[in-house]
Amino acid sequence: MIRTLRAFFLSRFLREKLLVTGIAVLVAALWLSSIGNRAVRFVHAVRVTTSSLNEQARWLSDRAAIEASAQAAAGRLDAVRTLDTTRLLAEVSAIAVESGLKNSTSGEPKDVSNGQFSVHTLQFNVTKADWGTLKQFYLALSKRSPYIGIEQCSLQVDRANQLLLSANFQISSVEISKN
Amino acid sequence: MCASLSDFLRASPPPPRVAVLPDAVFFSRTVSLAAGTPRAEVVSQVGLALEALSPFPLAQLYFGYYLPPGADRVLAFASYRRRFTAEQLAEWAGAEYVLPAFAAILGCGAEPATTVVLAAPDGLTAVHWDQGPVPAVVLYHPLKPDATEDERARARAELIRSAGEARTIVDAPSPPVPQPGRSEGEVVFQAGGLRSRLPSAVAAALDVRDKADLDALARARRRDLFLWRTAIGALAACLLFAAGELALLGAGLWQSARIAKVAAQRPTVARIMEEKDLAGRIDELSTKRLLPLEMISVVSPEVAMPKNPPAIQFLRAAASAGAVNTIQIDAQTSNAGEIAAYRTAIEQTPGCERVEIRDQRTQNNVVSFKLIVTFKPGALAPATS
Repeated sequence: MIRTLRAFFLSRFLREKLLVTGIAVLVAALWLSSIGNRAVRFVHAVRVTTSSLNEQARWLSDRAAIEASAQAAAGRLDAVRTLDTTRLLAEVSAIAVESGLKNSTSGEPKDVSNGQFSVHTLQFNVTKADWGTLKQFYLALSKRSPYIGIEQCSLQVDRANQLLLSANFQISSVEISKN
Repeated sequence: MCASLSDFLRASPPPPRVAVLPDAVFFSRTVSLAAGTPRAEVVSQVGLALEALSPFPLAQLYFGYYLPPGADRVLAFASYRRRFTAEQLAEWAGAEYVLPAFAAILGCGAEPATTVVLAAPDGLTAVHWDQGPVPAVVLYHPLKPDATEDERARARAELIRSAGEARTIVDAPSPPVPQPGRSEGEVVFQAGGLRSRLPSAVAAALDVRDKADLDALARARRRDLFLWRTAIGALAACLLFAAGELALLGAGLWQSARIAKVAAQRPTVARIMEEKDLAGRIDELSTKRLLPLEMISVVSPEVAMPKNPPAIQFLRAAASAGAVNTIQIDAQTSNAGEIAAYRTAIEQTPGCERVEIRDQRTQNNVVSFKLIVTFKPGALAPATS
């Protein structure tokens, strides 16, 4: 077959041979460019997917260890003394009142839960408080550790009266499901 | 159309275009050669021999020669140029080979002492091999177009007798016709029952055309072969790309399955990640307490430099569980010289790991700066009062 094609090709006029060769080379070049680009994109996608799968495999293989560490962390806490959102807000407000803080506000609590454990987070703001009162509040809060913990704390000198401070606390509590 | 294309592709390649010339216009002679004589020298020796035989100079002759590989002599043949008309010459233009009829049957593989009688309407040609692959003599006997069978037989017998002693006589009743070869490297002729196979290089030497024209033809052939190979290479590349497309298609299906797996696992993995985050936060709450006021107390100017507390005022302090042993303090002083001493004092505080002073700015003789102090893990004890 190839010899027949060859004889047919060689028997054509030069312009026809040039045309056929040119078209064949052009088609091959365009195809090469197209398939090359798609192959590069495909290889990139494969690498990304492989990376995702590897990472997922790592997480899945660590699942038992993560669950065990969560159980171990929760095991250090007494389930009865852990606080849900409502109790956290009530407890912090009560400590603030006991410490003598007057200008305090709290934000809406946020929850993260896996069904067995929950971590509740509360923003608690204090304005125009002196260092001593603030420290009383802090110490009272610390006594409830580890059931209540401070995740973030910022203090700022009041512009009008530099003896007074504004404070912002991000307070968290752990709740262990009792059922 | 598909059927005709299929037939075309299945068909064997067409025979080469050959202009077979009448033997009547050629004369021939064998010339001895030393073994391994180069081609250029063979052409030169053939030219000299023909010039000696012919009343015409070589430039006025069309000539060729037969020299199979390993032969120790060459059969040279030539014809006066003016014996060919312009119309005949025009027919040569598209031909791959132009040679006399007897030259076409030289590759018949005749045994020694064999005479081949080639019949043509205008005469008979006897080619006689005494030994070796090159014939010893080529004789031509003209015949009238209306010659009887008796006259033909007599002419044949006379030719055979003149050619030399032969054990085998082979008759080729029809002129040689080119046939498709088994490969590109050979040219095949059929004359009645006689089959002649000539290697391409040997057949090229049989071509009687001008050597300059033959060189030009060879160049054109090389160019055409280059175009053919380029076109075939491009088509082969296209076939390869088609295979690549199939591979990409298959790999795409495989990749789709992998993407589906990633999507299916994503919620589970997100839950595990959340669980890890949760475990970390529970662990931090119970074991890694953030002690912001304790850190502020340790780095306060009065505690860090009790004997000569600098006039440094804290404006803002911040700490977070993400960096549980670090506190960032925005402070200011009217005495910039105190900052270095203050830093040194904090560095010397037990439990201090690193002290950084950043973002120093001056405004109205007041220098503001950011103080970042990192304590060693467990260096600070929770305050009780």
